[in-house]
Amino acid sequence: MSAPTLTTDTHPTTQAPATTHTADGGTPHGSLVPATGLSQVKRVALNGGRALWRAGAVLLFLLLWELGPLYLAPASTRVFLPPLHEVLAALGALIAKGQLQNHLGASLTRSASGFGIAVVSAVVLGLLVAWYGALDRFLNPLLEVFRNTAALALLPVFTLLLGIGETSKISIVAYAAFFPVLLNTIAGVRTADPLLIRAARSLGLSNFTLFQKVILPSAVPTIFTGIRMAGTSSILVLIAAEMVGAKAGLGYLIVNAQSSFLIPDMYAGILTVSLLGLAVNYLLVGVERHFSRWRTAVGSGNG
Amino acid sequence: MTQSSAPKISLQDVGKTFTVRPTKAVPLGSTLTALDGITLDVAAGEFLTLVGPSGSGKTTLLDLLAGLTRPDTGKVLLDGKDVTGPGRDRAVVFQQYALFPWRTAAANVSFGLEGTGPDGKRLSRRERTEKARTYLDLVGLAGFEDRYPHELSGGMKQRVAIARSLAYEPDVLLMDEPFAALDAQTREQLQEELLRIWRTTGKTIIFITHGIDEAVYLGQRVAVLSSRPGRLKEIVPINLGDRTTDGDVRSDAVFVEHRHKVWALLHDEVLKAQQAGHAKILPDGTAPDEAPQANSGKAA
Repeated sequence: MSAPTLTTDTHPTTQAPATTHTADGGTPHGSLVPATGLSQVKRVALNGGRALWRAGAVLLFLLLWELGPLYLAPASTRVFLPPLHEVLAALGALIAKGQLQNHLGASLTRSASGFGIAVVSAVVLGLLVAWYGALDRFLNPLLEVFRNTAALALLPVFTLLLGIGETSKISIVAYAAFFPVLLNTIAGVRTADPLLIRAARSLGLSNFTLFQKVILPSAVPTIFTGIRMAGTSSILVLIAAEMVGAKAGLGYLIVNAQSSFLIPDMYAGILTVSLLGLAVNYLLVGVERHFSRWRTAVGSGNG
Repeated sequence: MTQSSAPKISLQDVGKTFTVRPTKAVPLGSTLTALDGITLDVAAGEFLTLVGPSGSGKTTLLDLLAGLTRPDTGKVLLDGKDVTGPGRDRAVVFQQYALFPWRTAAANVSFGLEGTGPDGKRLSRRERTEKARTYLDLVGLAGFEDRYPHELSGGMKQRVAIARSLAYEPDVLLMDEPFAALDAQTREQLQEELLRIWRTTGKTIIFITHGIDEAVYLGQRVAVLSSRPGRLKEIVPINLGDRTTDGDVRSDAVFVEHRHKVWALLHDEVLKAQQAGHAKILPDGTAPDEAPQANSGKAA
């Protein structure tokens, strides 16, 4: 009866691609290429060229790392800055001996435990603080003080109180990861659309149901942004903590290699740290995206 | 026909005053009378439209009916009983759709069906999906169950919002300028569909609008509010005859006559509101125009 009348405000064909774009923010340029004018070969070449351009800076950097120490630097510097192939060889040796796996495992266990503790406690506390204004007014000044105290400045305190074992390292990771999650949880709850709250209230929803069905889901993307930031900072802080006092871990590997004058090993450790950071970030970005799929085009869609 | 039976909704001398937060200009704060002495009966199954200048308290009146706020004076009665809070016997449709962006169209529609219903029963997931499908079909959105709000046009979003309000089967539909954000063509289409839904479901509808045409076209009666403080200026009964025919009702002489009557009633009030610089009353009870009132009066 009414299906035909829909035609004027229905654009399923134009909307379909918009939803696929949301999965990856980086590719909307692809749609600019007119598909009819270009042959298959040309398009492949174009895509290949674009991929090469994106990888170009990294490749140039690696090339400089390989050739620079050999041809540009004086021989004395080469000892402290070995070319890439020596570092990769050292990395291979570390993997073959199983040392790298041990250090990586130790670091991952610490950061995952600290990170997990931080996420759970920060989300719970953040929800409470955002919901109960009185609690917020009471805790906020204290939280501000702690938030603005750099985690690493407290490292000696953690070491003195909790020793140089696992407890102090997990604690400092948890401390560093706690605040991004807490602040984003509070912001997520605070910025819930008042109109949606009004709509839910007009249905006579109880406070608890309102929280569970409206406020929490609308805060989830913001909370995940905080979790992603926490993931990055938990690794940064952990490496530093391991450099100061540890018997295993990537930070320990780097410092120990330096003091034992195993310079290629040191660079192998650094390389592993940056690869680990990249991997964690990609993983968390993926998770964040998964939970925020609906948020795409919210700004333009609700206007 | 409205006087014969007990009214569905009855407003008796309703007044609402907001306390305006203290500002630098008015350090002691002040009060803002949004509504004053509104008395109005709405019969069961009636379609009443409500027009009034900006800041005349239309939305405040709707909030009172929805139970989102309480009146300071007078009584708001529904089926003879005091309205004490929101309830599932009334549904509100907002101008900005207020759809939950993380839920699909079908999940939005079934939002009000979740949890324990007024009869103490819980619907199973399948029953909820079935009902959502039925009501999406009623508003002409069959096949769009799995779309997210950001994948729908404005008109489709408002259809989903209407379906959501109808799904838990309230007696009264409260609509706050629901079509104001839509383009003219979509608006006309939705007006017709709303009339169709009203005829098939027999709901009591109170419909707030800025548009005189819309008020006259939809309403059986048009209630005109005065500029702030909102008082009921006049109720214009609309009789356009049988509108099931496909003719252009809006060009009809009778329509034009009604339209002019409402326009004339509203015209003075709109001028008054403009001269006083009245703006929309915000949900927290403030109106942006209240503080600089002294100079805005001169400027206009």
